[in-house]
Formats: sequence, structure tokens, C-alpha cells
Amino acid sequence: MWFFLGKRLAMGFLTIFVTTIAVTLLIHVVPGDPVQIMYAQSQGTTPEQIEQIRHTLGLDQPIYIQYFDFIGRLAQGDLGYTIRGQQPVLDVILQRLPNTLMLAVAAMFIAVAIGLPIGFFAAYQQGTTIDTSLMVAAIAGVSVPHFWLGLMLMFFFSVELGWLPVTGNGPLNLILPAFTLGLSNAAIVARMTRSSMIDVMQQDFVRTAEAKGLPKGLVLRRHVLRVGLVPVVTMMGLQFAFMMGGAIVVENIFAWNGVGRMAVDAIFQRDYPIIQGFILTFATVVVVVSILLDTVYAMIDPRIRRS
Amino acid sequence: MTLIPPNISRRSTSSLPRFIIFWRQVVSTPNGAIGASIVLVLIGSALFAGVLSPYSPIKMGVGPRFLQPGAGFPLGTDEFGRDMLTRIIYGSRLTMTVGAIAVGISLTIGTIIGLIAAYLRGWTETILMRSVDILFSFTETLIALACVAVLGPSLNNAMIAVGIAGIPYYARTCYSAALVERSKPYFEATVSAGASHVRLIFLHLLPNVLPTLIVVATLGVSSAILAAAGLSFLGLGAQPPQPEWGAMLAGARDYINRAPWLMIIPGLSIAITVLGFNLLGDAIRSALNPREHVR
Repeated sequence: MWFFLGKRLAMGFLTIFVTTIAVTLLIHVVPGDPVQIMYAQSQGTTPEQIEQIRHTLGLDQPIYIQYFDFIGRLAQGDLGYTIRGQQPVLDVILQRLPNTLMLAVAAMFIAVAIGLPIGFFAAYQQGTTIDTSLMVAAIAGVSVPHFWLGLMLMFFFSVELGWLPVTGNGPLNLILPAFTLGLSNAAIVARMTRSSMIDVMQQDFVRTAEAKGLPKGLVLRRHVLRVGLVPVVTMMGLQFAFMMGGAIVVENIFAWNGVGRMAVDAIFQRDYPIIQGFILTFATVVVVVSILLDTVYAMIDPRIRRS
Repeated sequence: MTLIPPNISRRSTSSLPRFIIFWRQVVSTPNGAIGASIVLVLIGSALFAGVLSPYSPIKMGVGPRFLQPGAGFPLGTDEFGRDMLTRIIYGSRLTMTVGAIAVGISLTIGTIIGLIAAYLRGWTETILMRSVDILFSFTETLIALACVAVLGPSLNNAMIAVGIAGIPYYARTCYSAALVERSKPYFEATVSAGASHVRLIFLHLLPNVLPTLIVVATLGVSSAILAAAGLSFLGLGAQPPQPEWGAMLAGARDYINRAPWLMIIPGLSIAITVLGFNLLGDAIRSALNPREHVR
């Protein structure tokens, strides 16, 4: 188990290390002069000022020096300053990150609460019309773009029925974005759960349990569910990454004040320090969550725990 | 894995080309039939957009503004009095192009990486596949967003971004399929017969991993279309007045009360397109794995 976790930890560090390199290079692969592009929107910047800015950002240094500078500042929790407003990037991100995490976790909860029972039920009813229609519904659910689902939910619940506020950042405002993100992923969770459960149901120990006369419900609860859930938990890490990615779009629909909305605004404003900080934060969150989930996975699966 | 399951090739229809026999098997299932019909209709409307549509997709004022769907304008008109049906038809052309080019990029580069890693093994394999693992953990959305941030918002850049973002997935799939192939006796026999590297990779590995890649690519078209439409929806892909479905949805947000059909129709178009490719991909997968039917 320690070997398994050690390997995951090493891979996580490697990922974040590569991200820091990618983020430093990012500004250099922009076609044209990044400084001119960044300040193109603000009027009356003189060539001297441009040079001054280039110097402040360290862009007149050799690239490896820039990288070490970046790492050095990063170690002190300094991600630079935003182009618009000159605020510390780290503050801007930390102010919004809890909102995005809240949205992702709420959506994950909804996805599991809806997808898991449906997948389990479909596996139980395997081969019947109920199973087929549930799985057709799941394919249809995967095909609906979440940005459209979000707009439709907003249209019905906020505009037509007036039950929920359209935009904002209160607890009531979390309901629609979380359902938008959660429902699209519930379909994926349902499909995964079903195929995992069906795999387990065909195994010998399940046949043994049935043969010794255990009631079907007990076999499902005690034998199938426990083993079948392991691959589902494994997939949760990837699911969480999907949620974070999906949050970028969903936050923009509902004007939810998270890092995704911040990143898209920054792309429009060519505010590269924010974009760099966002990519680094996103990668770090995804890596940390997947390592945490793998730890859970190692703890619940004896085959890994004892290896 | 051969392209044709053994129980089919034994049929008396073996005089027909293998592809046609396989295709018949795909469309014989309800999923395959519905998926294939949707995809064929889309290809038709993309190719013949100019003939099929009554107006120009960007000409304003061909009808009154905000006309509800009905006679004359079957899908209504938008805020500039443009015909929605025309815009949806031309939009299918953009959507299919996006799907084809994005998947083309991911498939080509991903296949090359996967084949090289599985064929050469050793250090090359470690470096290539570890890099792929790292990229994979970034998720497609983040890679696509980073690419657009660098390249700037436009439909072409969105296609490239989505294409690049898909590479890790195709590389992984191709790699694991190629590893299975190279451990089979026929491959060993070809190696000992003294076949060249190029011959081994392109005449032996590639044709045998192709069936797996076809399934992944068909399903991949749907996720590429979704991702690109998402970028356009955010304003990072297609720009107005391009009749791209995601961009049309974004524009319809302001008229959510007044003209809900402007929002419903493009979204439904994306959903049906994606559904079509998902169903077709699923059907091709089951046709390639006859064992699944037994279950």
C-alpha cells in the first residue's frame, strides 16, 4: 500500500512540476509580443513604459532565470500581480476557489446520489426493458450539453416559475449550477456503476452466495455492492476533474463567482498572470483530490492494502 | 482482433465486401440504426447546406425579428431577422468540420505516440506514456482552455485546442491496444521473419489496433463537438455572426424570455448530434465485440 501511495505521490509532484514549467513557457508561445497584447487595451502606453513592464515581469531575462524566479516566488506564495488592478493573483484566486470547490462537491454529491442507485437498479434488472430504457436515458443524458441544460433549468425554474434566483452567490444560487453539473455526470456514474455491478454479479463468489440460499437482496447488498463499488470509487478522481472542468462553463452561465469565471474573463482581458495562476491552481487541486481518493481506494480495497 | 466477428464471416454473404457486411451488422441494432441515420442526415446537411437552406445564414432581415416557428420560417427568426433553419443547417457544416478536424488531430498524433511507445518500449515508452499520464490528469477542458488562452479566441483555434486536448486519450487507447497486439504470436513470427520497423508498425500493428481506434474516434467526435461548442458558448470559439450552435446559444441568453426557441433549437441540435455519434459508437463497439451480445 505504501508503495502504491508513494508512486501516486511521486506522480503528483511530477505533474505539478511539469505544470510550473508549462505555465512559465505559456507566455512565450503566445504569437506576438505578450506585453503589447496585454496592454493593448489600455490607452497611451509609451514604449518606455512597455520596457518597464517587461522588466517588472522579468520577461527581459533568459528563460531559465525566469523559471527559477517563478519557483522562488511561488515558494513564498507569490503568484505575481494581475494586469488589471494590480492585485495579488493568489488573493484573487483564493477568494474564489472555495466557491468553485463548493460547486464541484455539491455537483459530485448530486451525481452520486442520482447515478449510483440508478446504475445499481439497472444492473439488478439487467436485460429487462427497465434496464434498456434506463441506459438509453443515460446515453441521452451524456449527450445533453451542460451549458444548454443550465440555460433550460434557468429558464424553467427562475424565469417561468420564479422559484430560484437567476444569478448571484447565495446558498439558493448554488442549487441550479450544482444540478446542472451533477445531472450530466449522474448519467456517467450510472453507466459506470451498472457495468461494474454486472461484472461482479458474474463472478464465482456471487454464485456461491446464491447457491447456499442467501436471499437475493442480501447477496446484492453484502457481496455485489461492496466489491462493485471499488471501481466506481476509483473513477471518482477523474469525475472530480470533470466537475472542475465543467464548473468553468457552468460558473459562466449562472455568474457564479468562482475561478472558472475568473479564468474566462482573464482570457478575454489577456491577463496572463491570472491565467498562469489558474492553471497551476486547477492542476494542484485535481492532483491533491485524486491522491486523497486513491488513499481511500487503497484503504477499502484489501488487494491493494496488503500488497 | 479482426474487423469482422467470425460468426458473420461464415455467412453466405461473404462475397460482399467486408465493410458492407460489418456496416449491415451495425445498423441492424436499434442504437446503430438511429445513430447512423442521425450522422448521415448531418453529413448530408453539412455537404448540401447551400442547396438545402432557403436564405443566407448571416443575411439580416430576411424576415421580421423574433418570429415564432411557423409557416415560412419553420424554426422562426432571431434577433436580427435571420432565418433560424438556415443558420442551423449551416451550423451543422461547422459542427461536422469541428468534429472531423479536432478528432483528426487527436487521432493522428495520439496514434503515432501510442504506436511508438508500444513498439519501442524502454525509455521512450516511459517518457511518452508518463507525459501522456500527466496531460491526462490536466483534463481536456484545462488543456483546451490553456490553448485558447495562448492562441486567442476563434473557431479555428478552438478546433486545434480541442484536438490537442484529446491527444492523451487516443494515445492511451492506442498504446494499450498495440501492447496486446505485439504480445501475440503472429507479431513475434513477423519479427523473426526479419520485417523492418516501418513494416511492423504500419502493416502489422496499425491495422490491428484500427478497430479499437474507430470505436474511440466515433465516440470522440461527440465529446469534441461538445467541447468546441462549449468554448464557442463561452465566446472563446466561433465568433458572431458565424452560425455555430454554441455561439448561437450564447447569443440567445439575452432573449430567454422573449424568444425561448432561439435557445431551445441550437441546444437540441447539439444534443441530437452528440447522441447520434454516441449511439453509432456504441453500436460499432458491440458489433466488434460479439461477446457483449451474450451478456
